Amino acid sequence: MDRLKQQLKQIQESFAKEQQEMQARFERMVREQQAQIKALQQQIAAATNAVAGVMKTNQALAAPLQEMGEKVAQVVEAQKKVRPSEFNPSIGFVGDTLFSYNRRAATGEGPPRVGGWDVFQRGMELNVAASVDPFAQGYAVLNASADAQTGEANVEVEEAALETASLPANLELKAGRFFGEFGRLSYIHDHELPFVNRPLVLNRYIGGESQTEGVQASWLTPLPQYLDVTAGLGDKFGEDSNSPGAYRAFSQLDAWGRVSTYFDLSPNWQLEGGVSGLWGPRTGSAEQAAGGTAIARERRLAGVDIKVSYVPLRNNQFRSLVWGTELLHSGNRYLFDPDGVPGSADEYQAGVGCWGLYSYATYKWHRQWSGGCLFDWLEDPQGRGRQTFAFSPYLTWAISHWHFLRLQYTHTDYSGADLRANDAVFLQWCWIIGSHAHGWQAR
Amino acid sequence: MKSKSFSFWLLTALAAFTLAAWPAQTAKIQVITTFTDLADFARAVGGRHVEVFSLATGVEDTHGIPMKPSFVPRLNRADLLVLVGLGCEHTFLPGLIEASRNPRLAYGHSGYVDCSVGIQPVEVPLSTDHSQGDVHPYGNPHYLLDPVLAKTAVSNICHALVQNFPQYKPDFEQNRDAYLAKLNAKIAEWEQVAKVLQGIEFVSYHEHWPYFADRFGLKYIGTIELKPGIDPTPRHIEELVMEMKADHVPVVVREPQFPEKVPALIAKQTGAKLVKLPIMPGGVPDTGTYLEMMDYIIHTMVQALPKLS
Repeated sequence: MDRLKQQLKQIQESFAKEQQEMQARFERMVREQQAQIKALQQQIAAATNAVAGVMKTNQALAAPLQEMGEKVAQVVEAQKKVRPSEFNPSIGFVGDTLFSYNRRAATGEGPPRVGGWDVFQRGMELNVAASVDPFAQGYAVLNASADAQTGEANVEVEEAALETASLPANLELKAGRFFGEFGRLSYIHDHELPFVNRPLVLNRYIGGESQTEGVQASWLTPLPQYLDVTAGLGDKFGEDSNSPGAYRAFSQLDAWGRVSTYFDLSPNWQLEGGVSGLWGPRTGSAEQAAGGTAIARERRLAGVDIKVSYVPLRNNQFRSLVWGTELLHSGNRYLFDPDGVPGSADEYQAGVGCWGLYSYATYKWHRQWSGGCLFDWLEDPQGRGRQTFAFSPYLTWAISHWHFLRLQYTHTDYSGADLRANDAVFLQWCWIIGSHAHGWQAR
Repeated sequence: MKSKSFSFWLLTALAAFTLAAWPAQTAKIQVITTFTDLADFARAVGGRHVEVFSLATGVEDTHGIPMKPSFVPRLNRADLLVLVGLGCEHTFLPGLIEASRNPRLAYGHSGYVDCSVGIQPVEVPLSTDHSQGDVHPYGNPHYLLDPVLAKTAVSNICHALVQNFPQYKPDFEQNRDAYLAKLNAKIAEWEQVAKVLQGIEFVSYHEHWPYFADRFGLKYIGTIELKPGIDPTPRHIEELVMEMKADHVPVVVREPQFPEKVPALIAKQTGAKLVKLPIMPGGVPDTGTYLEMMDYIIHTMVQALPKLS
């Protein structure tokens, strides 16, 4: 029994000892954990302070960063604004060379050229354009082509004009030397024509490009339908000027006008049309006419033009069809002199009515390839009973947007005259460097 | 007397015609956009306050919108002209702005809304010499094919509307936020779907896809065009085919504005899959909105993959 009591006492002592040791270990562990918690709390506090510091730093950096971002944006924007002006003014140059063979000397079919084999640098055209100020823009076109007779290149200012940019009531004014708006192709430069040479009727009735020195106002009517009305006044129109150097009354200025409109026949088919008129005095030299000589006294010209285009929206760069026609009526008045002797009291004034037209169709079947045919017909403006016919099939290879080759054959024939038919082959090689704007007129 | 009476009736008839044809004045803000994606954004942000017309219908090439005179009266009456910018519209827009006689739409004026403001362009050329083709001097302008960058365009449209018509500011901002939320959700979805496209190499007809490739991790290795706007030469096609064969390029992208013949030939010779992808809403059926178009592009690319492996 005593032995059992002793064993129980030993167990109790051992248990008490273990309990004390466990308590001591537990207390030590609690202390360690408390220490760890404290350390962690200190770390958290330190980290919190650090985050606050970073946030503070970020806040401090935000303003400079935003400023830097704005500066970068300004640089990008400045670049966009400066780039268009890096050609200040925008400068472009067009080269237009004609290699040709004419069976006979060509007259009245563009610049007069000799018969046989010929190389003609028709265009050496410098274009410059820029805004004058917020209200106007200016442009100039200088051309130097070799003279048909002397072979010397003469620089000519073809156009130098100012155009307003912000007139009220949809008005626009143009002043200076420019190509006045008559018909559809008379104010287009040679290299922008869809064929090699300017249509005969424009050469004979207008005098080539519709160059004038004057002022032209254009009004876009405020209607849902596109309707543009243009009127101009100048001291010449085409290649003739009106007695330069002489006193000129207001009524002796040339006046012209045009109304043009447009219809969407479908999303892919378009119709453009216009009517034009030109009136002006004329003081030409005596020319042979029916029954004597004739001196041009007054110019009256009217025209109707139409253009129908098939331009498929999806692949208009690869396929299109354009048919354009312009019909002109010339009713010029002449001073006729039956015996050709001035002052012999037999002179009389009379009008001569005559008609002329051109019609062409161009089909584009590839981004680089197009072809078509131009037909010309006109009556002699001096009333000599002569009629001229011509047809010109042409093929264009547009190597790129700024470079093309065009091959054209032209057969010209006459009726009611002793002129002999002409056949000509042209190879036009045209290129553009520098600035090349896609203006509204050249659309 | 007879002459006076005739003049009177002529003037009366002209006045009657003019009044009849005069556009009905609407209270809505007239917005013209160059492309259909911008029209979609403008409608989303402008809501009931705007009437939007896009010059493009969606099927055109971005650099080949016909300069139709019927656009001119619309531009003449427009309050805002919204454009992609970076020279994207250089072939047609300067001429149309010139013809519109609307000073509000001139460069730098309040109605001229260039959506590229804030976009960092890629492929900015070191030279604008035409030996490099019809390069864009400010960099590649086809950033709208990256939906993240499209958000910048949406914000720019909203900014312009607010600046010009501050009375509707709450509506515009609410509409913008709603659209951007929708767009953000779609971007997350597209990024998930397009994971399989990462590292996939492809070629396209024109340089439309660098921003798209960057966003979704594709490798854009070249174009069928020799240079921008310049048709491919036989030698260029031969070199491209050799490069594609060497790199096992699996996809040829044809934009619907370009002819199928050459891309199909290249795909056939290289064993690549030819896919037709729109570059703006409406370019192919069932892509009337920007979200639908991006859906179409991503899923068409992804669907092309199983046939490649």
